[in-house]
Amino acid sequence: MSAQTPINPDSVNVILATDCGSTTTKAIMIERVDGVYRQTHRGEAPTTVEEPFANVTVGVINALTEIQEVSGRRLIDDDGVIIRPASGDEGCDIYISTSSAGGGLQMMVAGVVREMTAASAKRAALGAGAIVMDTIAANDRRRPHEQIQRIRELRPDMVLISGGTDGGDTKKVTEIAELIAPAKPRPRFGKSYELPIIFAGNTDARPEIDRVFGSGGFDLKITDNLRPSLEREHLGPARDMIHDVFLEHVMAHAPGYDTLMSITDAPIMPTPGAVGDILQTIARGRGINAVGVDIGGATTDVFSVFDGTFNRTVSANLGMSYSISNVCAEATMPSILRWVHIDMNERELRNRVKNKMIRPTTIPQSLEALIFEQAVAREALRLAYLQHKEFATTLKGVQQQRTVGDTFSQESGGETIVDNMKLDLLVASGGVLSHAPRMHQTAMLLIDAFEPEGITELAKDSIFMMPHLGVLSSVHPRAAMEVFERDCLIYLGTCVAPKGSGKPGRPCFSWSLDSGARGSGELAFGEITVVELGEDETAELEAKPARGFDLGAGPGKTVSRTVRGGTVGLILDARGRELSLPEDPEHCRQAVSGVIDAVDLYPEAVPPGEGSAD
Amino acid sequence: MPRIELRNPLAWILGALFAAFACSTSAPASAPPQPPTELSARDKPWDGGGVIFLEWTASTTPLDQLQGYEVLARELGVTAAELADQTERAADAAAERETESLLEGEGIAPEDADQQARLEVRADPVAVPVEQPEWKSIAIVPAGQTDYEATGLEKDRSYEFAIRAIGADKSLSAPSASSPPVVPEAAWFNLSKLPLLVALVLISAAVLVFVVLARGGMVMKIRTIAGLKAVDEAVGRATEMGRSILYINGIQDMDDLQTVAGVTVLGRVAKTAAEYDAKIEVPTSRSLVMTASRETVHASYFSAGRPDAYNPDLIYYVTDEQFGFVAYVSGMMTREKPAACFYMGSFFAESLILAETGNSVGAIQIAGTANPSQLPFFVAACDYTLIGEEFFAASAYLSGQPDQLGSLKGQDVGKILAGLFILVGVVLATIQAISGSTGLEEAVRFLKDVILGS
Repeated sequence: MSAQTPINPDSVNVILATDCGSTTTKAIMIERVDGVYRQTHRGEAPTTVEEPFANVTVGVINALTEIQEVSGRRLIDDDGVIIRPASGDEGCDIYISTSSAGGGLQMMVAGVVREMTAASAKRAALGAGAIVMDTIAANDRRRPHEQIQRIRELRPDMVLISGGTDGGDTKKVTEIAELIAPAKPRPRFGKSYELPIIFAGNTDARPEIDRVFGSGGFDLKITDNLRPSLEREHLGPARDMIHDVFLEHVMAHAPGYDTLMSITDAPIMPTPGAVGDILQTIARGRGINAVGVDIGGATTDVFSVFDGTFNRTVSANLGMSYSISNVCAEATMPSILRWVHIDMNERELRNRVKNKMIRPTTIPQSLEALIFEQAVAREALRLAYLQHKEFATTLKGVQQQRTVGDTFSQESGGETIVDNMKLDLLVASGGVLSHAPRMHQTAMLLIDAFEPEGITELAKDSIFMMPHLGVLSSVHPRAAMEVFERDCLIYLGTCVAPKGSGKPGRPCFSWSLDSGARGSGELAFGEITVVELGEDETAELEAKPARGFDLGAGPGKTVSRTVRGGTVGLILDARGRELSLPEDPEHCRQAVSGVIDAVDLYPEAVPPGEGSAD
Repeated sequence: MPRIELRNPLAWILGALFAAFACSTSAPASAPPQPPTELSARDKPWDGGGVIFLEWTASTTPLDQLQGYEVLARELGVTAAELADQTERAADAAAERETESLLEGEGIAPEDADQQARLEVRADPVAVPVEQPEWKSIAIVPAGQTDYEATGLEKDRSYEFAIRAIGADKSLSAPSASSPPVVPEAAWFNLSKLPLLVALVLISAAVLVFVVLARGGMVMKIRTIAGLKAVDEAVGRATEMGRSILYINGIQDMDDLQTVAGVTVLGRVAKTAAEYDAKIEVPTSRSLVMTASRETVHASYFSAGRPDAYNPDLIYYVTDEQFGFVAYVSGMMTREKPAACFYMGSFFAESLILAETGNSVGAIQIAGTANPSQLPFFVAACDYTLIGEEFFAASAYLSGQPDQLGSLKGQDVGKILAGLFILVGVVLATIQAISGSTGLEEAVRFLKDVILGS
C-alpha cells in the first residue's frame, strides 16, 4: 500500500502504530475484536536514529517484530517490509507513527508584543507539538544585539514569525525579521539545510518579509495571520504549516525518516502534538473539559481542553531526574518536605536529589525513596500546572464591554481559562505516575498537585498509548475513541472535593451512593476517605455540601451525578480547596499521616516494586 | 381719673365697686415682670476668643406670663489699663496746675513746689470721668432658657451684661444686676477639637508605622487595580495595530489634584509606550498642563532608555475652552482612530462625548476621575475605570515605593476608623431611637457633632 492513500474505515481490522521516542520505539497493535477495536499487543525496541544504525526504521521494524512474535501474526515480510493489507493471520490495514526522536520538533517563535502576537505564536507552536526554545518580541526587554546573540546561539528546526494585526503594524514585524535574517540561526541538520521560516503575521507586511528573507539561506513559508485582529486567534493554518514543514524539512533530514514517511498511512506527527489531538478528540466527543499531564525526566507537558479551547505547555525545567534539582529550587525544600510524613531532614532530602541527578535512570529501592520521589513529583506537577494556568488565558488586548454594574468588578483580559471546578477528566502519564506501585498513589499525586474541585474523573495512560491514538484519530476516529476508552485509560476512580474552607472537625459534606444502598455518610472538614467502586461500575452520587462549600452547583447546594468507579474507587476529599497544609511541621506531618492512613497509601505489606522510570 | 365726691352711701358703694373693677382689669396689664437674678458671665474656655457664656436664675414671674429674656451687653469704655493711664495723666496735669499756683502765690522754690503739689494731688486724687457706653440688646431668648452664649465680641475687651425679662404683653422688667466685667480671651488650645487631634495623631502614627514597616521589607499588599494592570494591554494593542495612544489629562489646570494624579499616571503610560516604541499623543486644555506633561513624558522616555524617541510636538496645547477642546479631540479621534485612549483627570460634561467617540473607533479606553457625577459615564463607555481613591492611589500602586505604599496603608487605617465611628453611631442611634435613652442621645450627639462633625 502506498503511503497516505484514502482509507475505508469499515474495512480496517488491524492497525499498527509506533511512537519513535528518543530512546525507545514503542509499537502497539489494534485489532477489531467482536466488532470493537481493542489494543491487543505491544512491543518495544531501542530507537535507532543515532549511529551505528542511523536509520529510524530499524528500530520500528524491531518493535513490530516483537509484536509479531508475541501475537503470532506475521507483520513483516522477508524483505523487512510491513505487510499490507491484512489478510488472514498476516499483515495490517493501517500503519501510523509519531516521533519525538532527536529531541522532537524544536522551534523559535517571534512576535511584536510578547503577551499578544508572540503569545499566539507560542500557542500555535506548542499546540503543534514543538518545544519552544525562545520567544523574541519587541518588548522582551532585550537589546537588539542581545536578541541577535540569542538567535545565533539557538539551533531551531524552524522559526515562526507573527506580528501585527491585518492592516496593523508592519514596521516592528519587519524589524524582527531584520533581526533574524542577519543572525542566520544555524539549523541542526547541517549546512545544506535551509532554515524554514513560517510567517503568520500582518498580511500587509508580506512583501517586506519576502524582501528580508529573499536573500537566501531561508525557506520562507507564508500562511494566514494567526491574529488577524486582536479579538480573534486563528491558529489552525499556522499549526498545519508547522506540521507540513516538520514533515518536509525536519523529518526529511533525520536519518531514515524519508523511508518511514513513505510507509505510513498518515503524516508522522510530533509526539506531544498527537497527545494533544487525542485529548481534543476525547473532550469533543464526550463534551467534557479535560487535562492531561506527562511528567518526564527533564520536562513536564500539560495539556488542557476547556470549552473546546486547547492549550499545551512544556515546563522545560520540571522533571523527575535531570531537572529534579530545579524542581527543588523552584518549589523550595520545605514545600517538598511538607508531603513527607516520615522522619526526613533537609540534608537527607538534598542527598537524595543529587543522587537522582547523577543517576537519573535509577528507581526507588526503598519506601523512603519512594515517598521522597512522590513528594517531589507533587511539587513538580503543581508548578507545571501553575505555569499552564498562567499560559492558558483569554486573549489580551481585547476591547471589554461594560455596564454600570461592572463598577466594582472590572475583570481584565488575559485571565486563565483553566477552571478546576469545570474539569471533568484528569489523565496522567509519565514514569512516576504510570509506574507508581499502587494506583492509590497515582490518584493522590494527581489530587494533591492539581487540586480538582467538584466531581472529577481520574485516569492514567496505561502504556503511554495516547500518542499512537492521537495520530490514529486523524485517520480513524472511531477506532481511536474505542481503544482510548477501553484500553488506553485505566480509570482510577472519581474524586469528589468541595471548594471552600472551614475549621477542622466541622461538617463539610454529606453523601450517599445509589440512595444509600451502596453507602452514605458525612465528612468533616479535613477528612478524606475512599469508597469502593470497582472498574466499569457506576453509581448515583448525591452530595450535599455544608454552607460555604461548593461542589459545582453553588455554595451549599446538593449535587446529583452518576460517578464512575475505578481501580481506586470513589475518593471523597473534604480537605477543602485551595488545599492548605498546616505551617507547623509537626501538625503538617500529622495531617499528611492522617491522609495516608485514610487512603492506605503506603501499606507496609506492599513493597515499592517498580518505581518511576523516566 | 375724674374726681368723684362721695356724699351718700350709694355713692360710696358705687365708688367701691368701680374701684374694685378698675383694679381687676388694669392692675395685671400694667405690672412689669420681675427681672431675672444671679446673672453670671464667664469667658468660654478653649476657644479663639470673642465668646462669653451667660447664666441666670429665671424670673419669678410665672412662665406663662413671660415672652422671653432680652440679653443686654455693653463694652466697657476703657479697660483697667486705659483707666490707670488716664488717671495718671490727669494727676500729672493737676500737679502741674498746683505747682504753678504755688509758684505764683508763695514764692517757693520750683522743686519744692512740684514736690508739694504732687503730695497734695496724691492726698486728694483726681476723679477721672469715665464715659460708659449705652446698653445694647444683643439677643432675645425664649422664656424657658436661662443661659446664653454671646458671640461676636471683640477679644480682650471688657464687657458687662444684664438681662431683662419680657412680659407676655411685651412689657420689660427692670434690668437685672449687671454682671461683673468679663473679658473674652483667646485660648491656646481648642479642646472641642480634641477628637480631631486624636484622629490626626492615630492616622499619622499609622502612616509612619507602615512607612517604617515597608522600608523594613514588609510586603504591602495592594488590591489589584484592573485599570492600571491594563495599561500594558492598551499600549500593546496600539503597538500591534500600528496606531497611536491618546492621553487626556482632564480639562483642569495644575492646581487641581486630579490633574496632578493624571500626570503621574501619564508617566507610567509614556514609559510603557517608550518600551513598546508606540506613539503617544497628549493634547491639553491648559498650557501649564502641557508643560508638566512634556516634562513627565520626557523623563519617562529617558528612564526607558529611549530619549531619542521623545517627540515634544505630540504633547500640545489646544484651547482652554471646554467644548472647543472636546470638539478638537473628538475630531482627531475620528480621523486617526487611536487604538488606546486614556482619560485621567477632572472631567465634566465632555466625559461621555470623549468616551463614546473612543468606543466608536474601537479603542481600548481607560479612565480615571474623582468626579462622582462622571464615573457612571466612564464605567459604561470605557474598558476600565479608576474610581475616586483608586485614581489617587495610582502613583503608590505604580511606583511600588515603600514610602508611598506605607502612606497608602496608613490612610486606610484612617478610613477604617471613620467607618467604625459611623457604624457605632448608626448602632447607637438605632438603639436610642428604640429605647429613647437620653444618655444614648447625648452619645449620638457627641459622635455626630463633635467627632464626625469636626
